Amino acid sequence: MSRGAAERVVPTPLVASSHQRRLVSGDRIFGVFAYAAALLILVIAAVFIVALVIPALPAITKFGLGFFVSRTWDAVRNEFGALVPIYGTLVTSAIALLIAFPIGLGAALFLAEDARLRWLRGPLSFLIELLAGIPSVVVGLWAFFILTPLMRDKVDPFLQHSFGFLPLFKGTPTGYGFLTAGLVLAIMVLPIMIALSRDVIRAVPRDLREASLALGATNAETIWSVVLPYARIGITGAVLLSLGRALGETIAVTMVIGNTMQISASLFASGYTLPSVIANEFTEATGNVYLGSLFYLGVVLVLVTIVVNVLARLLIWRFSGAVRAAA
Amino acid sequence: MELISLIRKEENIASMKRVLIALCVGAAVLLAACGGNTGATNPSTGGPSALTPPAASLTGAGATFPAPFYDAARFAYNQKFSQVTINYQAVGSGAGIQQLTKKLVDFGASDVPMNAKELTAAGGADAVVQIASTLGTESLAYNLSGVSNGRLKLTPKTIAGIFLGTIKNWNDPLLAADNSGVTLPNQAITVLHRSDGSGTTYIFTDYLSTVSADWKTKVGTGKSVAWPTGQGAQGNAAVATRITQTPGAIGYVELAYVLQTNMAQASLQNHDGNFVIPSPEGATAAASQFLAINPTQFSIVDAPGKTSAPISGYSWLMLYKDQTDKTKGTALVDYLDWLVTDGQQYAANVHYAKLPSNIVKDDINSLKTVASGGSPLLPSSVTAPS
Repeated sequence: MSRGAAERVVPTPLVASSHQRRLVSGDRIFGVFAYAAALLILVIAAVFIVALVIPALPAITKFGLGFFVSRTWDAVRNEFGALVPIYGTLVTSAIALLIAFPIGLGAALFLAEDARLRWLRGPLSFLIELLAGIPSVVVGLWAFFILTPLMRDKVDPFLQHSFGFLPLFKGTPTGYGFLTAGLVLAIMVLPIMIALSRDVIRAVPRDLREASLALGATNAETIWSVVLPYARIGITGAVLLSLGRALGETIAVTMVIGNTMQISASLFASGYTLPSVIANEFTEATGNVYLGSLFYLGVVLVLVTIVVNVLARLLIWRFSGAVRAAA
Repeated sequence: MELISLIRKEENIASMKRVLIALCVGAAVLLAACGGNTGATNPSTGGPSALTPPAASLTGAGATFPAPFYDAARFAYNQKFSQVTINYQAVGSGAGIQQLTKKLVDFGASDVPMNAKELTAAGGADAVVQIASTLGTESLAYNLSGVSNGRLKLTPKTIAGIFLGTIKNWNDPLLAADNSGVTLPNQAITVLHRSDGSGTTYIFTDYLSTVSADWKTKVGTGKSVAWPTGQGAQGNAAVATRITQTPGAIGYVELAYVLQTNMAQASLQNHDGNFVIPSPEGATAAASQFLAINPTQFSIVDAPGKTSAPISGYSWLMLYKDQTDKTKGTALVDYLDWLVTDGQQYAANVHYAKLPSNIVKDDINSLKTVASGGSPLLPSSVTAPS
């Protein structure tokens, strides 16, 4: 490496051929371009944050940090708080990941590891990519017309019948609410979860698997103690990307969450999410404080995304650290 | 299914419009090339329709509530005067007011006239002319098996009770008292409302605040309010669909959506105590009860009169009194003059109501104050048709 670098920066002492000179200047141009591109990302991020915070200022000065714990959202009295949509955003994303993580990982393992149904891999992979490409509004339409009646008439009554003693499944199911929204989000993040996990699982070196098998481990043991720990970081990435999509998803959630400003322990209850409030109300929002509060919600959404991402990373580092220590 | 056919219909109209706009642009270019820009208007002889507007391209933005009417009217206007291109963006009242204030559009549209604060931002109360452009009415649509269209009777008291969440079941004694002869089921009421800010919500909550002191103190009037009960859906179409989907549901929707989807709607008790089924005629009847309507006194809900539809309201258009571009300004006032007179005949097709004649007169008088460089753009000879 160091030799290669030396060759590149120190040209032949006396006269550099024109060809070499061109290479050097080409390198420089490319270097400048790469730095500029990286800098541009920083600039875009900074401009974005500033553009979000400045219009939010009337609301930030009026409500301060109390915005995060207030349950009121009343445009008539000009009183706003973000607690209800924060709760809705977190609950629906959590449901989505709880459903999508095991299914996604299972599907990824099947696609990457199982050799028996090899002919299925091609069509399945194609379908997954197709699923990832479906616009969210189309998923929303499907959920609005097909999924919600199904939830109301079949799934919710079944859950209530079986687990009705839990506060999670109390109340009258309408088909619109946290559970349906979480399910829709799960469907939307599954393709990301599967495709990314499959790729990282496939990237686990063959030597490691063979070593494990040679030591007498079964297929399942190999997957559990060799493949998954190795692919851990990649799978974490898949989970975080899925989470990012779930937190920010707007239109499909708006169509099935029920858009009610309430916090309820029941998953059948309708609620609200941060992006849904913004999407619903910005067109008719008049007045600095009202509009500012919607921008403030945008700031909150960015913050929630950052906090959740950091927490998820910490959790996984801790968890994987513990696994390593135990092993 | 009905929703889909509705959407398709709109798409057809949209594509027709596109073709028409293309033709208009072509015609305008031709006209300009021939130097055929007439510039000034001919003095009116036989009513406002005799005006010939100059070639111009106008843009407007705002309310979604009256958008179907504006589209239908524009289509008809362009068949007559192809030299005027009108581009209306239904982006919502709030956005419409903002775009007008920033002078990004030639006219704004809103279901609620601009208030004092908004007018100050736009250059003062005298800077902007606001005219009523159309009249709409709302229905309470429901989904109850065995209770056919118009059979359910609602009074101001029960409507407020349902939306406040104090009446929770269809077999509530208060509802039963008004509905003798109809068997109301023992079924929970699912209340549906708009989740997006909308003029439809403004008119409905204005009505509730007028008829219920409880509503006025607890919730109030607005395009978006803190609902005590129920679930929200985005847009009239989604509310309508959710009502059709959900047994036991009730919600407020624009009349057009009820009629186009054949939903059951309640018969509503008006101020005089009569039960009426909302209709465009009922809206006109309600509006004609209020003679002195202006941008600060514009509420016509709970109108007296035998046939008045109780949940009705105007939609408004705003433009600057001082038009910097004379040609554009002339075309704009000519178009708006046509819209509030001849254009009103296109309201019925899309289930909006005709403006009452006193409002048309007010509108034309307001339009006469629009000027460019100090000279009025609408000829003083223009009067409202009697």
